Amino acid sequence: MATITIPTALRQYADGSASVALEADTVGALLRGLVEQHPTLGKHLFSEQGKLRSFVNIYVGDEDIRYLEGEETPVAGGDVVSIIPAIAGGMYV
Amino acid sequence: MGAHKGHPYMLTLSADAAETIARHAEATYPDECVGLLLGGLDGDVKTVVRALAVENRWAGQVSLADTDNAESRRDRFYLDPRDYLRADREARAAGMDIVGCYHSHPDDPATPSERDRVGAQGVGGGTGFAFVIQSVRDGRAAEVASWLLVAEGARFEQEELALV
Repeated sequence: MATITIPTALRQYADGSASVALEADTVGALLRGLVEQHPTLGKHLFSEQGKLRSFVNIYVGDEDIRYLEGEETPVAGGDVVSIIPAIAGGMYV
Repeated sequence: MGAHKGHPYMLTLSADAAETIARHAEATYPDECVGLLLGGLDGDVKTVVRALAVENRWAGQVSLADTDNAESRRDRFYLDPRDYLRADREARAAGMDIVGCYHSHPDDPATPSERDRVGAQGVGGGTGFAFVIQSVRDGRAAEVASWLLVAEGARFEQEELALV
Protein backbone atom coordinates (compact mmCIF):
# COMPACT_ATOMS: atom_id res chain seq x y z
CA MET A 1 0.00 0.00 0.00
CA ALA A 2 1.14 3.52 -0.78
CA THR A 3 -0.15 6.52 1.10
CA ILE A 4 -1.41 9.61 -0.67
CA THR A 5 -1.66 12.81 1.33
CA ILE A 6 -4.40 15.34 0.58
CA PRO A 7 -3.81 19.06 1.16
CA THR A 8 -6.13 20.83 3.60
CA ALA A 9 -7.90 22.76 0.87
CA LEU A 10 -9.00 19.60 -0.96
CA ARG A 11 -9.96 17.46 2.02
CA GLN A 12 -13.57 18.50 1.92
CA TYR A 13 -13.78 16.60 -1.38
CA ALA A 14 -12.32 13.50 0.31
CA ASP A 15 -14.67 13.20 3.28
CA GLY A 16 -12.17 15.15 5.36
CA SER A 17 -9.38 12.57 4.97
CA ALA A 18 -5.83 13.86 5.43
CA SER A 19 -4.45 10.78 3.69
CA VAL A 20 -5.63 7.63 1.98
CA ALA A 21 -3.77 4.31 1.67
CA LEU A 22 -4.21 2.47 -1.62
CA GLU A 23 -2.77 -0.43 -3.54
CA ALA A 24 -1.34 0.78 -6.86
CA ASP A 25 1.74 0.28 -9.09
CA THR A 26 2.00 3.77 -10.55
CA VAL A 27 1.19 7.33 -9.53
CA GLY A 28 -1.50 7.46 -12.22
CA ALA A 29 -3.20 4.32 -10.90
CA LEU A 30 -2.97 5.66 -7.37
CA LEU A 31 -4.63 8.94 -8.36
CA ARG A 32 -7.35 7.14 -10.31
CA GLY A 33 -7.99 4.91 -7.29
CA LEU A 34 -8.28 8.00 -5.13
CA VAL A 35 -10.74 9.64 -7.51
CA GLU A 36 -12.79 6.43 -7.64
CA GLN A 37 -13.17 6.65 -3.85
CA HIS A 38 -13.77 10.40 -3.90
CA PRO A 39 -15.21 11.38 -7.31
CA THR A 40 -15.57 15.10 -6.54
CA LEU A 41 -11.79 15.33 -6.14
CA GLY A 42 -11.48 14.47 -9.82
CA LYS A 43 -12.17 17.87 -11.31
CA HIS A 44 -9.77 19.54 -8.88
CA LEU A 45 -6.92 17.27 -9.92
CA PHE A 46 -7.57 16.67 -13.62
CA SER A 47 -8.62 18.85 -16.54
CA GLU A 48 -11.53 17.87 -18.78
CA GLN A 49 -8.96 16.26 -21.07
CA GLY A 50 -7.88 14.05 -18.17
CA LYS A 51 -4.51 15.76 -17.69
CA LEU A 52 -3.17 16.76 -14.28
CA ARG A 53 -3.93 20.41 -13.72
CA SER A 54 -0.95 22.76 -13.95
CA PHE A 55 -1.42 24.09 -10.43
CA VAL A 56 -1.50 20.58 -8.96
CA ASN A 57 1.85 19.07 -8.10
CA ILE A 58 2.40 15.43 -7.27
CA TYR A 59 5.46 14.38 -5.30
CA VAL A 60 6.70 10.87 -4.58
CA GLY A 61 8.74 11.34 -1.44
CA ASP A 62 10.71 14.53 -2.17
CA GLU A 63 10.54 14.27 -5.97
CA ASP A 64 8.17 16.02 -8.38
CA ILE A 65 6.74 13.40 -10.77
CA ARG A 66 7.31 15.88 -13.64
CA TYR A 67 11.02 15.09 -13.23
CA LEU A 68 10.40 11.36 -12.82
CA GLU A 69 8.12 9.44 -15.16
CA GLY A 70 5.00 11.53 -14.72
CA GLU A 71 1.90 9.46 -14.05
CA GLU A 72 3.86 6.35 -15.03
CA THR A 73 6.19 6.85 -12.05
CA PRO A 74 6.22 3.57 -10.13
CA VAL A 75 5.13 3.52 -6.50
CA ALA A 76 6.14 0.90 -3.99
CA GLY A 77 4.56 -0.14 -0.73
CA GLY A 78 5.33 2.43 1.94
CA ASP A 79 5.82 5.30 -0.51
CA VAL A 80 4.22 8.58 0.43
CA VAL A 81 2.73 10.44 -2.51
CA SER A 82 1.77 14.06 -1.81
CA ILE A 83 -0.70 16.26 -3.64
CA ILE A 84 0.57 19.82 -3.33
CA PRO A 85 -1.09 22.96 -4.64
CA ALA A 86 1.16 25.54 -6.29
CA ILE A 87 0.18 28.99 -5.10
CA ALA A 88 1.20 32.15 -6.91
CA GLY A 89 -0.06 35.67 -7.34
CA GLY A 90 0.84 39.29 -7.56
CA MET A 91 -0.54 42.77 -7.49
CA TYR A 92 -0.56 44.27 -10.95
CA VAL A 93 -1.58 43.24 -14.43
CA MET B 1 -15.48 46.28 1.51
CA GLY B 2 -16.74 44.66 4.71
CA ALA B 3 -16.59 41.00 5.69
CA HIS B 4 -19.18 38.93 3.91
CA LYS B 5 -21.83 37.60 6.26
CA GLY B 6 -23.27 35.00 3.88
CA HIS B 7 -20.73 32.32 4.75
CA PRO B 8 -19.70 31.01 8.17
CA TYR B 9 -15.95 31.05 7.63
CA MET B 10 -13.71 32.85 10.06
CA LEU B 11 -10.01 33.09 10.76
CA THR B 12 -8.44 33.79 14.11
CA LEU B 13 -4.83 34.86 14.10
CA SER B 14 -2.60 34.58 17.17
CA ALA B 15 -0.68 37.73 18.12
CA ASP B 16 2.52 35.80 17.34
CA ALA B 17 1.37 34.84 13.86
CA ALA B 18 0.16 38.38 13.11
CA GLU B 19 3.54 39.75 14.23
CA THR B 20 5.44 37.25 12.06
CA ILE B 21 3.41 38.22 8.99
CA ALA B 22 3.81 41.96 9.61
CA ARG B 23 7.59 41.75 10.20
CA HIS B 24 8.09 39.45 7.19
CA ALA B 25 6.17 41.83 4.94
CA GLU B 26 8.27 44.77 6.18
CA ALA B 27 11.54 42.83 5.78
CA THR B 28 10.95 41.97 2.11
CA TYR B 29 9.49 45.39 1.18
CA PRO B 30 9.33 46.57 -1.59
CA ASP B 31 9.12 42.93 -2.71
CA GLU B 32 6.14 40.75 -1.92
CA CYS B 33 6.57 38.12 0.79
CA VAL B 34 4.81 34.77 1.12
CA GLY B 35 4.23 32.22 3.85
CA LEU B 36 1.95 29.52 5.19
CA LEU B 37 -0.50 29.50 8.09
CA LEU B 38 -0.31 26.56 10.47
CA GLY B 39 -3.02 25.79 12.95
CA GLY B 40 -6.26 23.99 13.48
CA LEU B 41 -9.62 23.63 11.80
CA ASP B 42 -12.77 23.44 13.87
CA GLY B 43 -15.67 23.28 11.48
CA ASP B 44 -15.55 26.55 9.54
CA VAL B 45 -13.34 28.32 12.05
CA LYS B 46 -9.62 28.28 11.46
CA THR B 47 -7.17 29.10 14.22
CA VAL B 48 -3.72 30.12 13.09
CA VAL B 49 -1.15 29.27 15.73
CA ARG B 50 1.94 29.91 13.66
CA ALA B 51 2.82 31.80 10.51
CA LEU B 52 5.71 30.19 8.67
CA ALA B 53 7.73 32.52 6.45
CA VAL B 54 8.62 30.98 3.09
CA GLU B 55 10.92 32.37 0.45
CA ASN B 56 9.28 34.09 -2.50
CA ARG B 57 10.73 32.03 -5.35
CA TRP B 58 8.88 33.74 -8.19
CA ALA B 59 10.79 33.29 -11.44
CA GLY B 60 7.93 33.00 -13.91
CA GLN B 61 7.10 29.37 -13.03
CA VAL B 62 3.42 29.73 -13.87
CA SER B 63 1.62 32.02 -16.26
CA LEU B 64 -0.49 34.57 -14.41
CA ALA B 65 -0.77 37.26 -17.05
CA ASP B 66 0.60 38.23 -20.45
CA THR B 67 2.71 40.86 -18.74
CA ASP B 68 4.52 38.57 -16.31
CA ASN B 69 8.05 39.67 -15.55
CA ALA B 70 10.05 36.69 -14.31
CA GLU B 71 12.50 39.03 -12.56
CA SER B 72 10.03 41.02 -10.51
CA ARG B 73 9.16 39.92 -7.01
CA ARG B 74 7.82 43.42 -6.37
CA ASP B 75 4.50 42.37 -7.83
CA ARG B 76 4.59 38.59 -8.03
CA PHE B 77 5.03 35.72 -5.62
CA TYR B 78 5.42 31.98 -5.97
CA LEU B 79 5.08 29.49 -3.17
CA ASP B 80 7.32 26.60 -4.15
CA PRO B 81 5.65 23.18 -3.73
CA ARG B 82 8.81 21.94 -2.00
CA ASP B 83 8.38 24.61 0.67
CA TYR B 84 4.71 23.65 0.98
CA LEU B 85 5.69 19.98 1.38
CA ARG B 86 8.22 20.82 4.10
CA ALA B 87 5.69 22.98 5.93
CA ASP B 88 3.00 20.31 5.60
CA ARG B 89 5.29 17.70 7.19
CA GLU B 90 6.16 20.12 9.97
CA ALA B 91 2.48 20.88 10.55
CA ARG B 92 1.40 17.22 10.58
CA ALA B 93 4.23 16.30 12.97
CA ALA B 94 2.97 19.00 15.35
CA GLY B 95 -0.64 17.87 15.03
CA MET B 96 -1.55 20.93 12.97
CA ASP B 97 -2.73 21.62 9.43
CA ILE B 98 -1.86 24.20 6.81
CA VAL B 99 -5.06 26.26 6.97
CA GLY B 100 -4.04 29.00 4.59
CA CYS B 101 -1.28 31.16 3.19
CA TYR B 102 -0.29 34.80 3.32
CA HIS B 103 1.41 37.28 1.05
CA SER B 104 2.03 41.00 1.08
CA HIS B 105 0.89 43.88 -1.12
CA PRO B 106 3.56 46.56 -0.98
CA ASP B 107 1.97 50.03 -1.26
CA ASP B 108 -1.32 48.45 -2.29
CA PRO B 109 -4.54 47.55 -0.43
CA ALA B 110 -5.07 44.16 1.22
CA THR B 111 -7.49 43.07 -1.48
CA PRO B 112 -6.79 40.23 -3.93
CA SER B 113 -5.87 40.98 -7.51
CA GLU B 114 -6.84 39.12 -10.66
CA ARG B 115 -3.31 37.65 -10.57
CA ASP B 116 -3.98 36.34 -7.07
CA ARG B 117 -7.18 34.69 -8.28
CA VAL B 118 -5.46 32.95 -11.19
CA GLY B 119 -2.60 31.82 -8.97
CA ALA B 120 -4.95 30.45 -6.31
CA GLN B 121 -6.71 27.92 -8.53
CA GLY B 122 -4.58 25.09 -7.11
CA VAL B 123 -6.51 25.14 -3.85
CA GLY B 124 -9.89 24.79 -5.52
CA GLY B 125 -12.72 27.28 -5.23
CA GLY B 126 -15.22 26.83 -2.45
CA THR B 127 -12.89 25.64 0.28
CA GLY B 128 -12.09 27.31 3.58
CA PHE B 129 -8.40 27.77 2.70
CA ALA B 130 -7.45 31.28 3.82
CA PHE B 131 -5.60 33.83 1.70
CA VAL B 132 -4.33 36.45 4.11
CA ILE B 133 -3.04 39.65 2.54
CA GLN B 134 -0.83 42.04 4.48
CA SER B 135 -0.66 45.54 3.10
CA VAL B 136 2.65 47.41 3.56
CA ARG B 137 2.89 51.18 3.07
CA ASP B 138 6.25 52.94 2.88
CA GLY B 139 7.83 49.89 4.48
CA ARG B 140 5.44 49.74 7.44
CA ALA B 141 2.84 46.99 7.90
CA ALA B 142 -0.66 48.39 7.39
CA GLU B 143 -4.03 46.62 7.19
CA VAL B 144 -4.42 42.86 7.00
CA ALA B 145 -7.39 40.91 5.63
CA SER B 146 -8.34 37.29 4.95
CA TRP B 147 -10.02 36.04 1.77
CA LEU B 148 -11.52 32.80 0.48
CA LEU B 149 -11.68 31.62 -3.09
CA VAL B 150 -15.37 30.95 -3.81
CA ALA B 151 -17.75 30.22 -6.69
CA GLU B 152 -15.57 27.50 -8.24
CA GLY B 153 -12.61 29.84 -8.24
CA ALA B 154 -14.41 32.73 -9.94
CA ARG B 155 -13.84 35.28 -7.17
CA PHE B 156 -12.59 35.98 -3.66
CA GLU B 157 -14.80 36.78 -0.72
CA GLN B 158 -13.56 38.37 2.47
CA GLU B 159 -13.89 36.39 5.68
CA GLU B 160 -13.94 37.65 9.23
CA LEU B 161 -10.49 37.94 10.75
CA ALA B 162 -10.04 38.08 14.51
CA LEU B 163 -6.77 38.82 16.29
CA VAL B 164 -6.42 36.97 19.57
